[in-house]
Amino acid sequence: MAEEVPAASSYIPYVHSQTLTSHAHALSSLKFSSDGRLLASASGDQTIRTYAINLKGDPIAEAAQVFTGHESGISDVAFSTDARFIASASDDKTVKLWDVESGSLIKTLQGHTNYVFCVNFNPQSNMIASGSFDETVRIWDVTTGKCLKVLPAHSDPVTAVDFNRDGSLIVSSSYDGLCRIWDSGTGHCVKTLMDDENPPVSFVRFSPNGKFILVGTLDNTLRLWNISSAKYIKTYTGHANSQYSVSSAFSVTNGKRIVSGSEDNCVYMWELNSRKLLQKLEGHTEPVMSVACHPTENLIASGSLDKSIRIWAQEE
Amino acid sequence: MNAPIIDPLQGDFPEVIEEYLEHGVIKCVAFNHRGSLLAAGCADGSCVIWDFETRGIAKVLRDNDCAAAITSVSWSKYGHRLLVSAADKSLTLWDVSTGEKIARTTLQQTPLHARLNPGLSSPSLCLACPLSSAPMIVDFEIGCTTLLPVCVPEMPDVLAPPQRSKCPESGPPFSPAAACFNKCGDLVYVGNAKGEILIVDYKSVRVLALVPVSGGSAVKNIVFSRDGKYLLTNSHDRIIRIYENLLPAKDVLRSLEDLGKNVDGVDGVEKMKTVGSKCLTLFREFQDLVTKMHWKAPCFSGDGEWVVGGSACKGEHKIYIWDRAGHLVKILEGPKEALIDLAWHPVHPVIVSVSLTGLVYIWAKDYTENWSAFAPDFKELEENEEYVEREDEFDLMPETGKVKVSSVNEDEEVDIETVEKDAFSDSDMSVEELRYLPAEPIPDTNEEQDELKLIEARISASPASEEAGQNGHVTDLVSSPQAEEMGETRGKRKRKPSEKAMELQAEKAKASKASGRTVREKSRAVGDQEIDESVNGGGDDDDDAYY
Repeated sequence: MAEEVPAASSYIPYVHSQTLTSHAHALSSLKFSSDGRLLASASGDQTIRTYAINLKGDPIAEAAQVFTGHESGISDVAFSTDARFIASASDDKTVKLWDVESGSLIKTLQGHTNYVFCVNFNPQSNMIASGSFDETVRIWDVTTGKCLKVLPAHSDPVTAVDFNRDGSLIVSSSYDGLCRIWDSGTGHCVKTLMDDENPPVSFVRFSPNGKFILVGTLDNTLRLWNISSAKYIKTYTGHANSQYSVSSAFSVTNGKRIVSGSEDNCVYMWELNSRKLLQKLEGHTEPVMSVACHPTENLIASGSLDKSIRIWAQEE
Repeated sequence: MNAPIIDPLQGDFPEVIEEYLEHGVIKCVAFNHRGSLLAAGCADGSCVIWDFETRGIAKVLRDNDCAAAITSVSWSKYGHRLLVSAADKSLTLWDVSTGEKIARTTLQQTPLHARLNPGLSSPSLCLACPLSSAPMIVDFEIGCTTLLPVCVPEMPDVLAPPQRSKCPESGPPFSPAAACFNKCGDLVYVGNAKGEILIVDYKSVRVLALVPVSGGSAVKNIVFSRDGKYLLTNSHDRIIRIYENLLPAKDVLRSLEDLGKNVDGVDGVEKMKTVGSKCLTLFREFQDLVTKMHWKAPCFSGDGEWVVGGSACKGEHKIYIWDRAGHLVKILEGPKEALIDLAWHPVHPVIVSVSLTGLVYIWAKDYTENWSAFAPDFKELEENEEYVEREDEFDLMPETGKVKVSSVNEDEEVDIETVEKDAFSDSDMSVEELRYLPAEPIPDTNEEQDELKLIEARISASPASEEAGQNGHVTDLVSSPQAEEMGETRGKRKRKPSEKAMELQAEKAKASKASGRTVREKSRAVGDQEIDESVNGGGDDDDDAYY
């Protein structure tokens, strides 16, 4: 039985494959498109860049487009489901909608009264949810750019928003320590998830089937909560997260894993069920702010305050 | 899927008008299978499809040949096709995702009701009920129409039915026969002018069974519930009747044939009636005993629990809701405009009603804020409760046993990937359903971008004139060096006022829309008005969302 060995014999470690240094400032967010062909990165240098992913190519990621137009650093970026559009959330209080192919700005969504921190499309990609330092979550109509709803979500900056797989629910997290679940159709609060201690929540996302949420808190812990029972069922520790809004992701392409960035410059990977630490990917020289997992292949991208993006692939 | 999270008691029937949609003069509406899209036919011959979630227009189907009012719209089962019947006697089949016309035929009479076969995924077969003749099956591929029988032939003791073409009723003229497909599209249920329901096999054009409706008065509407278990008829005697469908869901034709074979000793009409009695049984009757009004557009709710009918009286917009046990649960009253069409959302407790003025009203539940959702340890009480504290509640006790015992077994297997089967998907989901039309964002024009920047400047509490001067120079948002410069200088100014002050400024800017303006703003009064409305449109939404 290979249980004592931290890296089980069946586990193939990830290795560094490529470093992209096109940004001039710290990276804040990384996302893969749902077809896995593109990677988008958002940075404090007020630009968003896309890279074409060629799994058989060398290098794997090649620069594709640069999106300029924001007047302040960008905190988050999101692809629409068909990867035709990108939405970006910026400190200039706007959310901008861009055309991926041409790199041109299509729409500017105005309404937030403070830095917009997080943004996401719903799976149907007819609505965008954005969370801001003004403590609200706004739901926008993609076609007209109108703000459809303003949810009085939290009492502190909203750090993450995510839709579940059929777009009916939105989860939002905030520095006030709460995660709230909203009905996206009516805008009404459905549930609030909180514990006895409420450390600021820096990140939240739904599991692929929408039944669980992965919550990152500023007490160096990641937890997996069961929504219907409103209790957490898994805890992942070992990384450092007490200052920044570090993102984490589910990796389901090769066994169920949790991947997260960390303030000790590494990318951590745990086995989902056993909570064992599988690997620490080292290489960045500053805190890793964002990680993204390729939807179909065993590829991880990590973005850090050291202005670089590193691509990690499984060794053959 | 959200059943465990969303309170089941909140999904009943709508109570108030939430919103209305407008696009020309709407004549008829239909939801797609999931209720994510709403198709509506207009008086000018075009058809508009709304994305029901965002309440925005997703597509407009316009046929230049057809300028006559649309009489009915019908979706195909998976939402790929839309059948539109118009007052110029035409039937048009549209492909929804491309917005292209697939086929078009012209009938001899204007079809009042046209329904696509619900059993096929890409149907080219439809049922049309014209104004003054028997319902017919129209096949677009072959291009032929087949008239369906309206009464059982060779009836020895029939009283010759008088032709109902000239009818002295004051209400809207009723068709001699109403018809609908059953759930799988094998059979057509025809309700005729003599008050009988005929079960017809349209492929062989044979009447297989007959069910007489008590009262014998002409059937105006005949509708199945979504699960095919109940059938509703609206008769001229102002009664809505609910029948329970006893036939099995699949292989209906064979069961009917078998039933027919098992009945021996009787023949002709009697045989039909006997078979019929095994197909449908009367379950409930609804009528308004007080006003004895005619009903218009009755239908079932999505789950079949409720029956809704609109009042056909001119000048009032009343919707009656009954539960299946027969009790009248609600009468919804709208503005004083006659009601011409009604549809219940397949999933949510939402009703859509079309008034004579062409507006589409959306009725939804009046939501009372669930405060327990905001704070899980908060319990809402119906009435005041006496709280009796424990004997030792306020005692000072050392923190001995206060170690948090994690009752959670963290070693349990967690499944983050499997999804439960959707309640709405049928077992034979070989075809992918068209649930949404892809959103096409309308690009901001350069002008709009400038105006938006000016509004942003107004929101930040900086000295107005300086900002205006600077902004006037910015014409292209995309040029980055200029933008960066702008961003920096603006950034410096923005940090001065506090959060609260900025919000108040924003509120004031919105509030002062109607009142007198400063000198700077007067110069662009017209442009501002439009942009203000689009920005404050969002503001209005704010108000709605807050309660």
